[in-house]
Amino acid sequence: MDKLVPAFQLLGIGFYVVVCIAGGAGLGWWLGGKKPVFIIIGLVIGLILAFYGAYRMIRPLIDSNNKQDKGNG
Amino acid sequence: MTALEKRSPKKRGCLGCSFPVLIIIGVVVIGLLVLGLLAGPIGQKLLERFGIDLSFPAWLVPASPAIHLAAPGVFNVLGVSITNTMMAGWITVIFLVLFSWLVTRRMKLVPGRLQIVFESILGWIYDLCVSVAGEKNGRRFFPVVCTIFLFVGFNAWLSLIPGFGSIEVNGHELLRGANTDLNTPLALAIVSFFFVLYLGFKDLGFKWLSQYFAFGPFFKAIGRTFKGKFNVMDIFSAAIGIFVGLLELLSMFIRLISFTFRLFGNMTAGEILVIIGAFLIPMIGVNFAIYGFEMLVGFVQALVFSILTLVFATMSVSSHEAEAH
Repeated sequence: MDKLVPAFQLLGIGFYVVVCIAGGAGLGWWLGGKKPVFIIIGLVIGLILAFYGAYRMIRPLIDSNNKQDKGNG
Repeated sequence: MTALEKRSPKKRGCLGCSFPVLIIIGVVVIGLLVLGLLAGPIGQKLLERFGIDLSFPAWLVPASPAIHLAAPGVFNVLGVSITNTMMAGWITVIFLVLFSWLVTRRMKLVPGRLQIVFESILGWIYDLCVSVAGEKNGRRFFPVVCTIFLFVGFNAWLSLIPGFGSIEVNGHELLRGANTDLNTPLALAIVSFFFVLYLGFKDLGFKWLSQYFAFGPFFKAIGRTFKGKFNVMDIFSAAIGIFVGLLELLSMFIRLISFTFRLFGNMTAGEILVIIGAFLIPMIGVNFAIYGFEMLVGFVQALVFSILTLVFATMSVSSHEAEAH
């Protein structure tokens, strides 16, 4: 049950990644029209946001796992 | 003596039926399966290939399935369009209210069968709330979490009752599972979102907002710079803090989308699966298996929606408590 809370948080991770990447690309497209450079910049920012956010969401689970390992060890 | 005791224990059979009855049921089921297979598009194509001309009456041949994502309005009441999903939602609410009233009308210390069923469902959800949020908070969250679970679960199961989607009025189905309309999951997601927001504000006040708008440490670090205590790492970590806070804010709003589309997608996919299954092999066919699967999906989605609400509510009241200790 200790892992239930962080594990359920991960259910939204897919949507988070998709919205970040699509949002970044969309923002770039909105800013630069058809110029690809803005879309690429937006995409990169979206990717960074997505990966960092995903890492932060996964971290509690890794922490609780580490704690348990230390407890067992 | 109850009906169960009256039945002779020596009588051979299975699932409360004697063997002759079982055999008759089996023959009927296999007959319907073969009839459905032959009358459906799969069987018709096979028969065509083998050159057998077997025409079935029109009522046996399934119509091509039409899938509408938007719920069609069935009636107009005072200019307001009443959709079939709205009515299904109301039926769920009426069913739950009546069921609760029936169960709680004559509560006994030694519970009856109906009371045992209801008490065990509620007890299970209550234990879940307490185990995740603790005794005090679990009691507070229980009403909302349990309501969401029962509403979503019964909504999903109600639409699996045979005949539910078969009644047609004005060219549209009279009833359709409320979860298959994007508005219902969105409404539930908004309820869950504001519930979490309300709890955060109630327990932590404006301090709760500071986890999303973490500008305080940044301004403090800048202030210290003016006092001559310049520290690059301080300013850097405060800037990261602002970024992380905004990221949390973003993920909070994305949660609204993920809550909505998870439930809508799962339920709509299930509905389409049942429709296609019933079209390919009508009567007893693949839907025999799909129904069991859909019952599980309905239960799991109700559980996921309610547990996620519980988890985020717990996080919202304890995010700063944990930091303070």
